Amino acid sequence: MTSQPKPTAARDKTVGRMLGVFLLISAVVIAVAVTSVRNINRSVASSDWVNHTHAVMLEVNSVFSSLQAANVAALTFVATGDGRTQAAGREAFSDLAEHLEVAKALTRQEPLQHEQIVHLEALANRRADFDRGVLGRPPPERPEAARALAAPDASAEAMDEIQRAVAKLTDQEMALLAERDRASFLQAQTTRWTVWSGVALDILLLGGAAWLIRDDIAARRLAAATLEEANNQLETKVRERTAELAAANEGLTTENLERRWVNQALEHQLRYDQLIISSISDMVLVVTKALNISRINPAVVRLTGREAQELIHRPVSAIARLTERAGGAEALLLDPLAQALAEGHDLREQAAMLEDKLGRKIPVRLALFPLRDRDKVVGGVVILQVIPQVPPPAP
Amino acid sequence: MKKHILIVDDEAAIRNLLAEYLTRSGYRVTAANSPIEAQQAVEQDPPLLVISDLQLADSDGLDMIDQLKTTLPNTPMMLLTGVLFDPKVVREVLSKKVSCYLQKTTPLSQVLGEVKRLIGPP
Repeated sequence: MTSQPKPTAARDKTVGRMLGVFLLISAVVIAVAVTSVRNINRSVASSDWVNHTHAVMLEVNSVFSSLQAANVAALTFVATGDGRTQAAGREAFSDLAEHLEVAKALTRQEPLQHEQIVHLEALANRRADFDRGVLGRPPPERPEAARALAAPDASAEAMDEIQRAVAKLTDQEMALLAERDRASFLQAQTTRWTVWSGVALDILLLGGAAWLIRDDIAARRLAAATLEEANNQLETKVRERTAELAAANEGLTTENLERRWVNQALEHQLRYDQLIISSISDMVLVVTKALNISRINPAVVRLTGREAQELIHRPVSAIARLTERAGGAEALLLDPLAQALAEGHDLREQAAMLEDKLGRKIPVRLALFPLRDRDKVVGGVVILQVIPQVPPPAP
Repeated sequence: MKKHILIVDDEAAIRNLLAEYLTRSGYRVTAANSPIEAQQAVEQDPPLLVISDLQLADSDGLDMIDQLKTTLPNTPMMLLTGVLFDPKVVREVLSKKVSCYLQKTTPLSQVLGEVKRLIGPP
């Protein structure tokens, strides 16, 4: 008999493994999700920063553009005296101030940039003050006066300095943008690797779980098949044993019936035989080979007045004796009975005298029949028939 | 439908034992303790076989068999008795009246064998 693993223990082990695998899968999914969300947040932050940087660069360039527009308006005003250029100049100043305020606001959290913006503001305001002064005067009527008006303008140098400041600031921002771009690329790459690694690991774990499930199903099928086979074997054994017991029970019942039948038949036979003997009104005595009485019928008790216990194992001569035929006198003549038994022949019509319990003598006819058992005389049957007394003829 | 056997015996113990044995063997058994009951049983449900004792309380088994034969001329009759007959008597007298003679000391299995011989298996 082979030992089979206990199904419950195997099931518990499999459940434990499955739980472990799914916990691992869950941990990987959570780790991937956390990493991805963090990188997405970083990307969003980078995107905000890029937008912010572009905004700063745009504002700085707009400052320069506004300043150029104001300068052009001032020079045009000096050259043409056209009053419309004053309005254009005022608009340029307004734009300049707005762009400077926006730029300062954008760089408020970044001291280095903010300082550069403040420096740029100082340069721009100085230049703007000059242009504002040109535009605020009456238009010159002569060319000399116009040149005199524009002479203090160190516009070329001032604008160059402003342009350099703008370019420096822009270059710094571009460098930062490039750095952020690399960082963003690395983050994206990390996110990609994290996601794909997580997916691959989860696929591997799911494969492991599938293998465990398949293994568990196979084990369960094997256990079920083994259990079913064991049940079938047990049922077969139970059926066989039940059939054996039923057959044995049937046999015992039949045997019991046969025994009861035999006993009943023997009892019936004995009772019937006893009935036959008891029904005979003559005295019937069964004697042993030694002529001792072994059995009597009721007629003996009735006619002798003696009970069975008084007669059993007593010699038959105690109650009956043969009489001499010739003389009629009583004589002890038992030898003929013994001789008849010894020789195995019948005696019939023998005159005898019966003596009852009160000592009365009753003339009887005696017959003796040897009892044979397998051709061997084992005793005899004595029948005593009372001779009816004929009353003497009336005188 | 099980084959029907009528048992007639005035001794309840013998009658019941034989009825139980034949019932267990698969036959349908009706038991009667007198010729009158036997006649009523025959009228209500004619048997395929009659098993009777010889010495009945109210009558003679052979006389009863003669009477039943007027109703069931082709039905086999079995005499099951404690009276021991000489084989010559059985051969020359009883065989003309009954289909089978068995002593009561005959084993039940042999009785069943005779039943099967006379009417077949249940």
